[in-house]
Amino acid sequence: MRRTHSWAVSAVFALILTAFLYSAYRGHAIAEAASASVSVDPAVLPYYAFRSFLRMLAAYLLSLTFALVYGTAAGLSKRLERVLLPILDILQSVPILGFFPAAVYFFVTLFQGRTAGVEMASVFLIFTSQAWNMAFGVYESVTTVPRFLGEALEAYGVRGWLKYLRLYLPASIPKLVYNSVVSWANGWYFLSPAEVIGTGLLLPGLGSFASAAAQQGLLGRTMAAIGTLVAVVVAMNVFIWRPLSQWAGRFRYEFSPGGGREPESFAYELWRGSRAFNSIRRLFTRVFDRMFIALLSLGTAARRLRQGKSGRGLTALRWVANVLLLATAVYVAVVGARSLVTVFAHPLPAESARIPLGLLASSLRLTAAFLISAAWTIPAAVALGHNDRLYQLVTPVLETLAAVPATALFPVIVFFLATRPGGMNLASILLLLTGMQWYLLFNAIAGVRAIPRDLREAARSFGLHGWLYWKRVVLPAIVPSVITGSITALGGGWNALIVSEYVAYKGSVLSAFGIGYLLDRAVYESQNFQMIWLSLAAMVLVIFLLNRFFWRRLYDRAVIHFRFDE
Amino acid sequence: MALLDITGVYKTYTDNNRSITVLEDISFSVEPGEFVCLVGPSGSGKSTLLRMIAGLDQATRGSILYGGRPVTEATDHIAVVFQSFALLPWLTVSGNVELGLEARGVPKQERQQRANRFIDKVGLDGFEEAYPRELSGGMKQRVGIARALTVEPELLLMDEPFSALDALTAQNLREEVLTLWRDETLPVDSVVMVTHGIEEAVLMADRILVMSARPGRIKADVPVDLPRPRNPKDEAFSRFTDRIYSLVL
Repeated sequence: MRRTHSWAVSAVFALILTAFLYSAYRGHAIAEAASASVSVDPAVLPYYAFRSFLRMLAAYLLSLTFALVYGTAAGLSKRLERVLLPILDILQSVPILGFFPAAVYFFVTLFQGRTAGVEMASVFLIFTSQAWNMAFGVYESVTTVPRFLGEALEAYGVRGWLKYLRLYLPASIPKLVYNSVVSWANGWYFLSPAEVIGTGLLLPGLGSFASAAAQQGLLGRTMAAIGTLVAVVVAMNVFIWRPLSQWAGRFRYEFSPGGGREPESFAYELWRGSRAFNSIRRLFTRVFDRMFIALLSLGTAARRLRQGKSGRGLTALRWVANVLLLATAVYVAVVGARSLVTVFAHPLPAESARIPLGLLASSLRLTAAFLISAAWTIPAAVALGHNDRLYQLVTPVLETLAAVPATALFPVIVFFLATRPGGMNLASILLLLTGMQWYLLFNAIAGVRAIPRDLREAARSFGLHGWLYWKRVVLPAIVPSVITGSITALGGGWNALIVSEYVAYKGSVLSAFGIGYLLDRAVYESQNFQMIWLSLAAMVLVIFLLNRFFWRRLYDRAVIHFRFDE
Repeated sequence: MALLDITGVYKTYTDNNRSITVLEDISFSVEPGEFVCLVGPSGSGKSTLLRMIAGLDQATRGSILYGGRPVTEATDHIAVVFQSFALLPWLTVSGNVELGLEARGVPKQERQQRANRFIDKVGLDGFEEAYPRELSGGMKQRVGIARALTVEPELLLMDEPFSALDALTAQNLREEVLTLWRDETLPVDSVVMVTHGIEEAVLMADRILVMSARPGRIKADVPVDLPRPRNPKDEAFSRFTDRIYSLVL
């Protein structure tokens, strides 16, 4: 997890984000024109499911392209890495809600209030919940390619695009597939906020259906929407993600001989055997090969150009492009700085004084959810990691459960708990749990399975059992994985705060006091730019500082002390 | 009575609809005081056999008796030294060596005393507080050996203990293991060592069991009657080595 960091870049980028936020705030009034209502007739569910799926697919394809380009660029160029990584760090810390105003202003005004603009805004929002971890995954894959592999390829004259195709792209696939699954789950999780943008914009989809039905108190229809969503998620899991994960397994270069196998997917064989799929695949391969050969010759031509006389012209062109980019960045940063001034120029809204308290309340809730998660996921991970048959059986079920967005169930949970004293608090913690525990579980399981077989056998042969075995072998061994899982879990938790502290139900709003509540209120009710900016900034700052100065340090120390050096 | 009695042992792995037999009809015994080496090509199941003797794995058929009683799980009388050292990275040398005693509930003071004796014996005096990552390969294996000796076993099992070491370190350690084995003050009676180095086997063993490629069978049981201390440069030694080579191939 080596990350380079630059305060300068982070600061500049934060200013750029502020600029977007400010201009978005100024333009949000235009957004009222688009469609204002969504049907709650169960008959439209299949069609709405289709629309939601299309939106998710569009966002995913965007995220995939982004991840491949961004991650590979950051991985291969030290110069770019210094700029791109800090930016990604910040982006990952900003909760999705923070991107609403930017999305709304930019896309809706671009399309002058037409539905296309709103759709694009929605796709963009889903994109922001999917892209960052995939980009990190690609970056990590590219930077951990063993050096000798790259050197061997260079020795045989394999460079440029071919090297990318043969080395870096395949190396990225396992992490890409894994993160794609996570990203889709994330996307589904935030489907409702992405389809119900702001106060009046509604897009036909499962998220908005569930939200509208919940608002009108139609519990049965809400459940129907949830059921449809679950069906789609399970179908995707069985027919797409499990076979894809099995296929991605062949791109790993660590071999665990005789160790536990990944559960096999029957759908994988279905795809392989299907004639339609195979003919499409062959067609694609032929088209791709032709395109690739063209790309290769382009690459050689470009290289010759660069070395030839016109090489100087090209370098000059690159110089100009760099300067232009820098100038734009500086200009936007200045705009952001100026808008920052307006934030602090006017008297701050009274509510902003509650931000520290809100942060505290939310942190307490997060801690509670985290401890509950750890209490069940770690023992479960140890059990699953040690018993291969149990692992094969239970993991597919767990993966499916993890993919079902708990946000869809939230209206139901709220319905049952809202009337009890402290009910919203409990409901909120429950929802946080569901957004956090899976990260912890799957990371812990990976950590247990990574314990070298020799170590486990040595422990057994010397009679280590029960609590002593846990204390001396298992728990220390999984510390790095649990830390990684905790970082991701808490990240998911902070994001989940937005949907768990503020819920629209039966025409009124149920809430639990916290930073998520404050932010939501600012976005949905008062639309006060200062409040939005301050709550967002507070959240991002806390997450960022915690990650950088606590978790990162803890992880680095843990890796030294607990790592197996083979 | 033989210390270790192995009769008609088979090991088969079943995977979906395929079954692989890695060990076929293994029968031999080990007397108290013997140093036995198992040699054979990769995949001959030597390590699997060793694990079954240690109680870490079960035979599909046949019996493994230690002191007349069937081996079902890891016992106090048998200790294992691993090819990859298998030390816990977060414990010091002391912590690792004391592990077996800790598992038996021996109090801290006594544990430390007993462990220190063996840390000295393997020449790591002064390194008690070091962590495995600070040690060289040879030192790590010494820790592994000390850990095995500390539980004072009768039978010592070694799974290619010198394969992960460079030639010089391996040579030193071989001599040390032989010295420790012959040391009267240590309870270690017999040693069963898996190796794919034939010279190593001829240097150290009283008896060499030659195994075939998969499915592993005992091709030959050869007593090594060369007088100790053995010199690899000796003519008799070379001839013996050649003989074993021809048996393996």
